[in-house]
Parts: sequence; structure tokens; C-alpha cells
Amino acid sequence: MNKTLVSFLVFVVGLAVFHNAIFPIFTPKEIGWILNRYVYFLLFVAYLIITHFVLRLKPPIAMMGLFVWSIGFYFYKFVLYPPIPWTLFITYMVMWSIGTFLYISQDPETFREFRKPIVKTIVGEYKFAQIILLTAMPILVGFGTYKTIYPSYQEPVELRTVHPAPPATTKVHGKTYPLESTNNPFRVDEQDNYKDSFPFLDADKHEYMKYVTEGGTIFFQNCHYCHGDQLNGLGMFSHVFNPTPANFIDPGTIAMLQEAFIFWRVSKGGPGLPNESTPWSSAMPPWEEHLNTEEIWKVILFEYWYTGWHPRTFGTEGSEG
Amino acid sequence: MTKNNNYIKRLIFSFLAVALIVIPASAFAAAPDGVKKDMLETGKKVYFKRCVWCHGVEGGGDGPSADRLFTRPRNFIQGTFKIRTTDSGELPMEQNLIDTVKNGLQGSAMPAWGEFLSENEIVSVVQFVKTLIQDRDFGDTDEEVNIQDFGTNPWGTKGPYHLGVPQADIDAGKEVFLKNKCFECHGGEGRGDGNPTMKDDWGFPIVAADWTQCWNFRGSRRDPYNPFNVVRTVSTGLNGTPMPNFKDQVTVEDRWKLAAFVNSLCPRKNIDKLTNKPIPDFLIQSVYTEGQVSPSIDDPSWQSPDTDSRIVAFPEEQAENPKRHYIAMAGQITRGKRNFDPKTDDLWVTSRWSAEDNAVYYLVEYHLRFMSQDPEYPDAVAIQWPAKLQDLFGAEKPYFIMGDSKKPVDIWKANFLPQDYSATNAPKPDGYKLDVKVEELVGFGIESVNAKESESKVQVVDSIFKQGRIKILFKRDLKTEGEFDVQIPTEKFIPISFMQWAGRDKEKDEHMAISTWYYTILKPALPQSLYYMPPIMAVVFVCFQGWLVWMTKRARKMYDEGKIRRDELPK
Repeated sequence: MNKTLVSFLVFVVGLAVFHNAIFPIFTPKEIGWILNRYVYFLLFVAYLIITHFVLRLKPPIAMMGLFVWSIGFYFYKFVLYPPIPWTLFITYMVMWSIGTFLYISQDPETFREFRKPIVKTIVGEYKFAQIILLTAMPILVGFGTYKTIYPSYQEPVELRTVHPAPPATTKVHGKTYPLESTNNPFRVDEQDNYKDSFPFLDADKHEYMKYVTEGGTIFFQNCHYCHGDQLNGLGMFSHVFNPTPANFIDPGTIAMLQEAFIFWRVSKGGPGLPNESTPWSSAMPPWEEHLNTEEIWKVILFEYWYTGWHPRTFGTEGSEG
Repeated sequence: MTKNNNYIKRLIFSFLAVALIVIPASAFAAAPDGVKKDMLETGKKVYFKRCVWCHGVEGGGDGPSADRLFTRPRNFIQGTFKIRTTDSGELPMEQNLIDTVKNGLQGSAMPAWGEFLSENEIVSVVQFVKTLIQDRDFGDTDEEVNIQDFGTNPWGTKGPYHLGVPQADIDAGKEVFLKNKCFECHGGEGRGDGNPTMKDDWGFPIVAADWTQCWNFRGSRRDPYNPFNVVRTVSTGLNGTPMPNFKDQVTVEDRWKLAAFVNSLCPRKNIDKLTNKPIPDFLIQSVYTEGQVSPSIDDPSWQSPDTDSRIVAFPEEQAENPKRHYIAMAGQITRGKRNFDPKTDDLWVTSRWSAEDNAVYYLVEYHLRFMSQDPEYPDAVAIQWPAKLQDLFGAEKPYFIMGDSKKPVDIWKANFLPQDYSATNAPKPDGYKLDVKVEELVGFGIESVNAKESESKVQVVDSIFKQGRIKILFKRDLKTEGEFDVQIPTEKFIPISFMQWAGRDKEKDEHMAISTWYYTILKPALPQSLYYMPPIMAVVFVCFQGWLVWMTKRARKMYDEGKIRRDELPK
């Protein structure tokens, strides 16, 4: 059997088997020192080198070049994690292509071998390939030009800061609150003691659950439309807004904020955001228009109880990072 | 003894379940799934943490949120459940309830809990919900459930959009629709605009489903284009609502055809997997038009499918027409008088502009079941623009609810009342003409919205209310004189948003439905270079190829003649 063909099959079939059967094994939920995607990639490369060595396969340099280029493509497209944006991908692939070319032109011998089929096509020794190439390329160029000139419009991208810088103080219903030192007046006990308590049923027994019940009631009359019944930012109106409402389940929102920060955001809403990093485009209303101070604190208490997160404090653990 | 009984019951039931698989075309009777008592403790915990806020402490559908929801949360006390595989009036199967919890009820506030709670928590909470039913008992020996026969999808269509049903079957389905008078409630074209007087079992008002928004079907099970959903509802009815079953009137085969018809009315849109709603088209592209733009909604130049062209290709004669953009709407629930139950879920916007006409046109359409006839509360829709576009820096925008003190908005509002209309009329295929009054407003926030002092330049050139759909065609000159008129440049992204008032619901001022800011752009005419540049580039490339071949052959010849040696520079 033709050794070139064998080499080609070793590559294609090997990649298919590795990608579909072995790749899932190396990408478990819990990534280990052995079971990770980069070890998998090294294994695949080792497989290629070993099979070619053992079977004494020596494919033409053009095909070797193709293999090398494809391995790079495969790595950047499928193996590298997290996925990279396409602009970066193009940059990496340009570098990889240059590397492949260096590999091909490492000495005059290989470079000549690589050139041979190309030259033969151009001068017409491979007549059929020449005809196809010489007709297809101009058509492709014409088509590409059309695509480039044809005007197309995408929605403009707007970048914004996720967590705005809070002011030092905020004035709600005539009272000024310094954000550094204000605590939730209804956090009367350790939250974890009430993990399995029932709102409504235990509201008479525990003061804490009474506040949670009241906070939840306010939440489900005002907030759930956007922030969702699950507090995950997927309420029945959430799809309407851009940016979408905050997801409190996410560890990046209330879990890393002080309660006073949230008090400020709830009271002042989108219109109360600072001038820098605009546009916020936030649909969050200034809730001080509808809720009194106590109600706002109770909603915040409820949000932490429901999600199980603890508010960030600058107490004894005192790390800012 | 009872345990033994239960065991036998279960045995019989599993036999029947097997029988159901073996002989799919037969309904059978069984006892409902009893309550798994060992799961009640977990179930209660889940219920009181997650469900009580809407469904209430006793399951009466009267939690704190209930009065601000339309549709109201389910009242469990009577054991009335809408989405079942059992016969009308019967209790649901346990699996039906589990599916409802997992997938949520689209178009209502009930979210999908499948990814949020564990399997064990879901099954447990379903057990607890069963115990909240007071009027009936899942363990009662008199209770019987008959799983209905739904047949199987005769076309074998699969996938998110379930395409590929033959037109003949859709047409046959329409015959079934007419014969069984589905239009009496669902309206002539299925927008749920048939009957304004319906009430549910508890006396709360209820409306028929809008088939053209299948992503809002309660029983869509996060698979809105699957005709099975329709077959199930037609076969079982919706308990607690005026929707009966049609299993005796319509054969199983015909139910699938009816489902195909109902399903064909729903535009294929890219559905967001998290929210189960179409993804909004955040850029409204206004198409350049040669000569004058037609001021008639019925003109072919204004016809475009609702469907996404990436899912179903547009017919050739409409390929160049502007796209119909999907705009998601929500109740204005944050400022002043709040609107918790908007009657409109979305708007569809199509736009053209013409340099010769010196005008821009926006066709705004939306579904509305019933119109208002009260001149004090007319139906209305408005387009909102930044009034001082030139003063906005970067991506800055006015506050989306009628602007703010520093950044005013320009509002084009059309108020309209239908002529010779009554909500209880039979479907009228020609539709109703509208008496339209245009207002131009300038908004500095909800407390300060006033009519403009400058000359009014916005016109509504055509309008109609037809089969549950309102269409309003706005027109305005590109450049105007008014101080607070938005000036609309071409090829620029301009913020735009929409508002809608349902007169029948007594909506007025800030009590309305609203969208967030979108962008619109007046696309320029296609450049002339589009027609001559590609051939020029192709010819240039042909020349390059000729040169390459010539050069290569020449080099080859020089080698052959020994003038130079390979891989050696000529001396």
C-alpha cells in the first residue's frame, strides 16, 4: 500500500478517534494533572510521531507541512481553553503558518520537493489541476471583492463596567448613610442558622425569618419581573432589557459586595449611577420612589438568605482583594 | 394491607405502562400516582423556599406576587392543572407535574426549575404540591386517570423548528380549524382575538392563546415549535379554563393536521434558550428605496415574512424587502403608575427611507386581542428618539422612560380608535379602519412630557387593525425645523425605542408597555462599485496568473537550456 496514503489515514483516522473518543475522557469536570486537555494534545502528537517512526512512513514534505499546519489549527481552535477571540486566533494562525513555512523550507531539498507539485500545476504538467485552479481563483477573487464591498451593519458593541465605583455616602429619604460603615439593621442573627427555616410559617417564631418573609414579599411584588423567581436575572421581563438584569446566583454579584453597596444601588437605581463609564443603560429604577428604607434593607436580607451567599464585610478577615 | 394494595396497584400500573408502549393507540384507565410520603419533608422545604411567594402558604395561588401577575399563579386547592396527558377534568400524572416544574410555563411568571433544583427536589416538591390539594385526593380509589392517545408525529419532523410538514396537511388542518370553530375564541388568524368575555374556574379573566407566539404557549415545554404540544392540548383540554378537549370531534390523525396548521402560523425565530423568547433584533435596518416609498401597508414593498431568514429563506420577490425586526416589550413597572400586566409582548418593526422622498418610514405592528372604543383611553403606540441627538456623547442615551432633565426625548405617538368595531364581532378578514391622531411630544422625564410647540411633521400615512394585529405606518421628513425634533442622519446608529398603550386596560401616560433602547440605521444605497469592482479584480487576477505561468515556464526553460542551475542564483 502507498505509504503516503497510509500516513494520511494515520493522521485523519487518528484525529477522528482521538477527538471523539479520547478527548472527552481528558476533559472531565474536575481537571487533574494527568486528565487535562493539554496532556491529551501531547499524547496526540506523540501518537503521530511514534506511528510514523514505527511504520517508517515518510510522506512528501507538502503533506508533512499540511499535518503540521493542521495540528496548530486544531490546537488553537479546539484544545486551547478558554476559547480565544477570532482576532487572536487569526494572529496565532499567521504565526503558526510562518512557522510551518520555515519547517518546509528548512533546506533546499525539502523546499524543492514542496515546490514540485506547485510548479507542475502552474506550467500545466497537471493539466486538469491547472485548468481548475486558473478558473476558480479569479472567480473567488471576484466574489471576495463583492463580499468586502457589500455594506453590512452590526449592532454597535457597548462596553461598560460591571461594578460602578460607589460614592462615599448616599442620602435616602432624608438620611445620609456612609457606605463604608453602614450595616443592615435587620441582620439580627447569623444567617446560616436559618437555612432550613420556613418563611411565613416561622415568621412568628424567629425575628430573622419575619424579616426574610417581609423582604421576600417585597421582592416578589417588585423585583422578580426582572431578577427572576430564582434570583438569576431571568425574570419574565428580563429578555426585554439590554444589559440583562443582574444575576444574584452568580458569585460575581451580591456575593462579593457589601450590603451597603447594594443598598445604594437599590435606592438610586440606574439614574443614580456615576457619570464615568457611561452609558450604563440600566433599567433599574431608583427604588426609594416606591419603597421605604426598611423595605429596601429587608429585600437585601432576603436576597442573601435565598441565594445562600454572605455579604462581603471588611471586618476581621479584612482583605480587599 | 394498604401497602399490599398499593403494591398491586403499582404492579397493574406498570403492566399498563408497558401496554401503553406496546399498543400506543389506546387510552387506558388507571389510578393516579399516589403521594410518596417519605419525600414530603424535602418537598415542604423546597416549596416554602421557592414556590410559596406566588402559590401561597396553602397553595391557593395567592402568594404575595399573585395580584400583580397576569396570568395568576395556579391555585392548587381544587387539583386543577392545565398541562396534562390525562382526560379533561382528571388529575394529572406525576410526570406531567414534574415536567411542568422542570420546564416552567412559558408566557407566565413560572420559570423552568429543571436546571435550578435537583431531580430529587423536583420530585419531592411535586409530592408536597399533591398534598396541598384539598378538594380531591391522589390516593382516592374513586379517582381515575385516562392517559390519552396522541398518536405519533406522522411526518417524523424533528429539531428546534420542526420544519417539513407538507402544505396539503397544513391546509387540511385549516379545514379542521374552520369546521370546529376554533376561531370563536382564537380568532380568524389565531391571535387569540375571538372572545373578550372569558373567565377561568375562579372567575378571573382569561384570554385564548395567540398561536402566532407559540413560545408563549404554557405547555410548550421549552420546545415551542413541536406540534405535539398542540395535539396534547386539543386532546386533553386545559382544566380550569374554557378550553375543552376535542378528542371526540377530531380524530387523532386530524389533530396532528390541526397542530400542523396552528404550528405553521408561528414565525420561526431564533429562541433564546434561557428566556424562551425570541432574541430581539437590536439593530433596526432601514432600507434605502429608489424613488418614492409606497405609503400603503398592502404594497408588496412592505411585505416581509415574520420568520428569521436564516431559518427559512425568504421568497425571492421579498428578498430585497426590509426585515421585520422583533422588539421585545415589558410592562413599565418602575416609575409612577406601574403596569404589571402589559397586553403586548412584542412589536415588529419594518423600515424604509428614500432620499428622493426626503422621508423615513417606520411600520410598527403588534398583536392586540381587543381594541378600546373609549375616546378617553384610545389604543396608542409611540416611537421614542433622543431629541438632541447632536448633543449626545458617544453611546450616551436619554433615560429610556420618557427621557430625563438633561437629555430630552422626541416621542412620535399615534392614538387611534377603530371604526365600526365591537370586541365581540365575528372575525372580519378585511380588518377595521382606524381613526388616528398623531401627537408629537417632548419628554424630560415622566413628570414633564409636553406637546411640542413646533409644527408637527410626523404623519401616520396608513393604518389597519386586522385579525388581532395593529399596523401603523409612520412617516417623517428626514430634516425638520423643530427644536426638539430628532434629526436622522444616514449611515449612523441612532437610538430608538418604543412604547405601547392598551386602551382597554385603561393604560395612559407612564402606565404602558415599553422597550429598551434599540438602534436604527438608514442604510445607504448599494454602492455602484459593487457592480464593476469584482470583475475588475478578477481580470487583474487573471493577468497576474498569466504572468506567473509565463515566469515559471521561462525559468523552467532556462534550467532546461542549462543557462542557470537549480537553487543557484544566476551570476
